[in-house]
Amino acid sequence: MDPVASQDAGEALAAVAHARRQVAEEIGLPRGYWWAMAAGWVVLGVIGEFGPSWLVIVATVLFGAGHAALASRLLDGRRGSDGVRVSAVVAGHRTPYVVVGMLVLLVALTVAAALLIDADGAGHAALWAAVVVAAVVGFGGPEILRTLRRWVRA
Amino acid sequence: MTTARFDELIHPATRLSLVATLAAADWAEFAYLRDRLGLSDSALSKQLATLEEAGYVATERRLEGRRHKLRARLTAAGRSAFEGHVAALEEIVAAAGLATG
Repeated sequence: MDPVASQDAGEALAAVAHARRQVAEEIGLPRGYWWAMAAGWVVLGVIGEFGPSWLVIVATVLFGAGHAALASRLLDGRRGSDGVRVSAVVAGHRTPYVVVGMLVLLVALTVAAALLIDADGAGHAALWAAVVVAAVVGFGGPEILRTLRRWVRA
Repeated sequence: MTTARFDELIHPATRLSLVATLAAADWAEFAYLRDRLGLSDSALSKQLATLEEAGYVATERRLEGRRHKLRARLTAAGRSAFEGHVAALEEIVAAAGLATG
């Protein structure tokens, strides 16, 4: 085999891998998903702080149902960008688990933040905790998901 | 099982990157491809036209808001040709490794 041809083939394969990585960078959820999630977090915080317990239960169930309806379309991570739809093969099958794991962590963070704020003696601990976590979700959701995906090699 | 088949049409660097990008996606918009590949509008149009003529790529114009957007996707023939080409490249690299190793 001509060594130039084999070198050329190697470079071509590297270009193919680079193109695939570039598309894989687009795996994620639309920015609107994260802001909707942040808004839901604040609404739940407000209801948790000021609403009766039956309303907290109803709101939580509605939030969960709304998320489940969205999730079935979005959680595969293939619609993170308007410009490209990542193929199922490239997106893999772990992204939904990473998103759900991330949401569980955020719930735990909200509870921990509320306990800390409450221990500090501040009023409306649940609401402030929800606002803080909502800001984290809204502004940093895509970046947190990207980092988690890298950690678990999803 | 993919049959290795070197494809002269796909192999040029720009076209290979374009096809590899489309192979990793269900579809991609013109602007996305132009920005990722660093091509001018006319250069990308020309590459897409060549691939479309060969039956490797299908394009579709979609109205979004007030603007028409062009989407491109790899056809089944294009995907098969790309996979065959990648397999051929891997064979070349493997053979060179055996020869020197």
